[in-house]
Amino acid sequence: MKKVLIYIDPQAVKDSIDLLEAAEQIYGAGESLSYGIVPGTPPADVFGVFDKLISVSPDRAEGFDAAYIADSIEKLHRDFQFDAVLIPATVFGRMIAPRAAMRLQTGLVADVTEIRHHDEEIVMVRPAFSGRMLAGIVNRGGAPVMMSVRQNIFSYAGPRTKKTEEINFNPEPFRKPGIRYISSQPKPQDEDIRESNVLVSGGDGVTRYFDQLNELAEVLNGSVSASRKVVDRGAAPRHIQVGQSGKIVNPSLYIALGISGSIQHVVGIKNAENIIAVNPDRQAPICSLSNIVVEADAREFIPRIIKRIRKGEYK
Amino acid sequence: MKIICFVKLVPDVENFKYDYERNVLVRENVHQILNPEDCSALSVALKLKQENIDVQVETLTMGPEGCRPHLEDLIKRGVDRSILISDKSYVGSDTYVTSRIISRYLEREAFDWIFSGTHSIDGGTAHVPSQVAECLNIPQMGNILRINQAGLFSDRVRTEVDSEDAVLQFEIERPAILSFQYSTKIKLPYIKYEDLERDVSGQLEIVSNSRLRFCDTETGIAGSPTKVSQVEVDSFGRKDTRFLKCDDEGIEEVYQFLKQRGIVCS
Ligand SMILES: Cc1cc2nc3c(=O)[nH]c(=O)nc-3n(C[C@H](O)[C@H](O)[C@H](O)COP(=O)(O)OP(=O)(O)OC[C@H]3O[C@@H](n4cnc5c(N)ncnc54)[C@H](O)[C@@H]3O)c2cc1C
Ligand SMILES: Nc1ncnc2c1ncn2[C@@H]1O[C@H](COP(=O)(O)O)[C@@H](O)[C@H]1O
Repeated sequence: MKKVLIYIDPQAVKDSIDLLEAAEQIYGAGESLSYGIVPGTPPADVFGVFDKLISVSPDRAEGFDAAYIADSIEKLHRDFQFDAVLIPATVFGRMIAPRAAMRLQTGLVADVTEIRHHDEEIVMVRPAFSGRMLAGIVNRGGAPVMMSVRQNIFSYAGPRTKKTEEINFNPEPFRKPGIRYISSQPKPQDEDIRESNVLVSGGDGVTRYFDQLNELAEVLNGSVSASRKVVDRGAAPRHIQVGQSGKIVNPSLYIALGISGSIQHVVGIKNAENIIAVNPDRQAPICSLSNIVVEADAREFIPRIIKRIRKGEYK
Repeated sequence: MKIICFVKLVPDVENFKYDYERNVLVRENVHQILNPEDCSALSVALKLKQENIDVQVETLTMGPEGCRPHLEDLIKRGVDRSILISDKSYVGSDTYVTSRIISRYLEREAFDWIFSGTHSIDGGTAHVPSQVAECLNIPQMGNILRINQAGLFSDRVRTEVDSEDAVLQFEIERPAILSFQYSTKIKLPYIKYEDLERDVSGQLEIVSNSRLRFCDTETGIAGSPTKVSQVEVDSFGRKDTRFLKCDDEGIEEVYQFLKQRGIVCS
């Protein structure tokens, strides 16, 4: 039985559980034992999904001290000899994984979006050149296979009724921390655009009347998102940015208003089922990705389509 | 106080053109730029230097000799010294090996802080700063939005970090690697007129393997634990795009499309 260690990021528990699906794609369903490592008190959700659970020192609990988690992973690997170590590509996961790889003297692949198999080898696929290319990478350095995994790509739908065994973990004290957590200021918790079925997204072509998108989003029962240019110009908050440095979304409909479709933007909407672009420039790269292109000024399109939808509803 | 800034030169991906007809990335004539986040980090350091006489700023780059003109440009903008780690045997190194090479150089250097970007736009792995920190056994923090500059002169600095759902504050002990996020608010200083033609070659130093002394099997493609096995262009272009006008007919077609897909109900 293969052994897979998964880091559970307390700030992204669901994303961490989803890595169980990645583990199944590597070794096949039911072919691996899953070990979860979590800083501090384990959240309730992880019981029943992991086979084994290891919680590490509550006093350095939040998972902010990457060196500490890396030390723990190294120690656990010495005890258990994992075949693979998977870490969600969250803000702190991305600081922990490289350190842990260095300690385990193994190669690390970042931001994996797909697992493939080729001649007995595990091929970890990740976007390169800002997502315009896919690179398949293999680990030649021997065990363990190590990767950070892009959030929102894998989704775990397996059993939640396992008998999770908790493993005691009391290592010798590691390095003293060089990082001290002071405080946290929550970002405005509006809805998460990753959860919307319909996204009405605005680019620089609509920066000056970005507010108009709200009404269209409302009639479509969706949310508003934006390109980075709009965010950089201060017309929209960062947490609704779509793309490489924003969020990866997978709505069933993405309406791109005044978005040119730069490489960095488009990586964020690869999984969108349907795309409608509104853009006067039919050469804009977004157009060739779209089911429908309305060659027009978005300012004209928005009120007209709203009117048509309303008419449909009230007929 | 000495700050070493990591500076990576990357292809200007923002200006990559994608040829959807032929399904290829047009990479001809793509020039190299400073990784945008490194540019933000370096700008913070140079601003600090402008305001405090006892701040020394150095850049550290691992890359081909072709990086030279860029580094000379940075020296003209106020960098005191630029180090270019360059050796044929380093070509093709993955992040693990790159980090070991950079760390071996740094082991013998004195510094108070290292500034870097969080990730680069070509590789985008965000591995190098964390792995160098691990090799040097010092703290590192990524996604930094702001720092409390006065803290740099003491033993610990306050940082604001952009995390999943919150902005977090940490205190980081010196020496450490501070990896910044891209910011539009701060730019590199301009080159002064009198510096335009200044000969700065004396402030640029090339470090090769004759100094760092790795054996051939430790670096480059041979020494890297990860290997690229397949590369493909990720295409998701559609062939059946419909182009519509914003007239009654066009709007009706969009509406029918929404209806068919259950987005709106009639
Ligand atoms: C490291 C890095 C990371 C990045 N990450 C991201 C990211 O995560 N997300 C992201 O979006 N970008 C990202 N970018 C930026 C990206 O390269 C582009 O600059 C950006 O996506 C362009 O935004 P845009 O399409 O809104 O603007 P533009 O490219 O300026 O396009 C505006 C479009 O609007 C159209 N238009 C103009 N007027 C109208 C009108 N009245 N009605 C309708 N259409 C109109 C124009 O024809 C044009 O096609 C990143 C860049 C870098 C370097
Ligand atoms: N070859 C390099 N030379 C100098 N700095 C680098 C190099 N590679 C990475 N870095 C630094 O590490 C950061 C993250 O890069 P990466 O690990 O490639 O995503 C960059 O923003 C740089 O500051």
